Amino acid sequence: MNARARSAFGFLLAVILAFGGCSIIDKGAEIMGKAGDAIDKGDKVVKAYGKLRSAFGDFTEEEEYYIGRSVAALILGRYPALDNAALNQYVAKVGNAVALFSDRPEIYAGWHFQVLNTDEVNALAAPGGMIFITKGLLKRCPDEESLALILAHEVGHVAAKHGLQSIRKANLTGAFTSIGIEAIKTYGPAQLSQITAAFEGVLSDVVGTLIERGYDRKFEYEADESAVLTGCRTGYDPAGITRFLATMVGDKTTASGKGWFKTHPSPEQRIDRVDSEIIRLRPVPSIAAIRTQRFKAAVASVR
Amino acid sequence: MKIPKSSALAACVLAVICLAAAADALVVKIQTTQLRTQPQFFAPVVANLKAGDSLTQVGESGAWLQVKTATGLNGWVHRSAVEVPRYALMASAGGTKTQATASEAALAGKGFSKQVEDNYRAGHAEANFPAVDRMLLVKIYMSQVKEFLDQGKLGGQGGGR
Repeated sequence: MNARARSAFGFLLAVILAFGGCSIIDKGAEIMGKAGDAIDKGDKVVKAYGKLRSAFGDFTEEEEYYIGRSVAALILGRYPALDNAALNQYVAKVGNAVALFSDRPEIYAGWHFQVLNTDEVNALAAPGGMIFITKGLLKRCPDEESLALILAHEVGHVAAKHGLQSIRKANLTGAFTSIGIEAIKTYGPAQLSQITAAFEGVLSDVVGTLIERGYDRKFEYEADESAVLTGCRTGYDPAGITRFLATMVGDKTTASGKGWFKTHPSPEQRIDRVDSEIIRLRPVPSIAAIRTQRFKAAVASVR
Repeated sequence: MKIPKSSALAACVLAVICLAAAADALVVKIQTTQLRTQPQFFAPVVANLKAGDSLTQVGESGAWLQVKTATGLNGWVHRSAVEVPRYALMASAGGTKTQATASEAALAGKGFSKQVEDNYRAGHAEANFPAVDRMLLVKIYMSQVKEFLDQGKLGGQGGGR
């Protein structure tokens, strides 16, 4: 180390000792900022940040919300929302209760739940916490515990970002590349067109998985496991999910076969795994008559 | 360009110190959340926080973080509401706070945003956005969740692992 280098290093150490704590970041940045134009370098860092993003977990909470909004809009374009404020409010209360005890109680714009006006048996979760349950599925739930566990299963998919994990690598790369085009405030027409194309690619992967192909089986089992744990934490009898799944065993009717059987593992396989998980977690909460009563009152209009 | 060894060493020292100092820095990542007096959702609210608010972590208990706001208020936030700010990530990637602070502002509203949604919406009549907006208008307040839990003999304090 020559005299000049020693002096530079000594100066830096002196600055560090003099200021300490958080203020050193500002001072250090100030010193280094003098070496060049900080804003210009900031642009480069933005682009570098774009390049650093490569995996599903690198979407910001706000980006996940905007993906979710469009996924939800496509779901609601296919299945009409049930116009029943009291029932939607009840389902939203059950859903928010279990979400609060999940691993992701806080989400960008809060958790939202909507009943879909179809007899098809299904439940779907858009990224960002927008969750749907069909009237057909509600009719099959024997009690509040079953509904709670099904919603907890969907919350589990969102909490673990299973929807975002269904985005293909090429579309992820396309998304992050187009997002990182330039550090300007709003996109120009050409950039907007490029980023919208990337957005369409992402939506196609997520919606295709949710409605057509179904998640990877391991994600379904993970969501069941998460539902059992979340249900127990909330105070629900986790066997609620098996009581619902039992109604699906051997049922190959068109209505239930359309969505559910195409996108989920067989109910028998799920029941086996859920039972093992419940045994592992024992003692678990029991069903309560007061909850079954309010459930029956809430769903009476669609039974 | 040849970088003098001393400069590289100095930059490394600075980066390590930046990272150590930034380790306690957090930023709110969701639209709104609350600073609470205790590490539980039903505890009294100290202040409302919004996306982008800076916090400094001073402690933790399970999934809850004890934090201090920029205005000096103390309280607890759930871990799922906050993240490490971008400038700390930038520091670990070799940038500085000044560079990254400039990028925070530049990145605001970037990526998949309302502008992108509006453009997508214009070309996709099959997507029912008005129904999404109606769905998102339904808000269940924490007090309603508490009442619902109590009525159903459910309970605990919430908050995950």
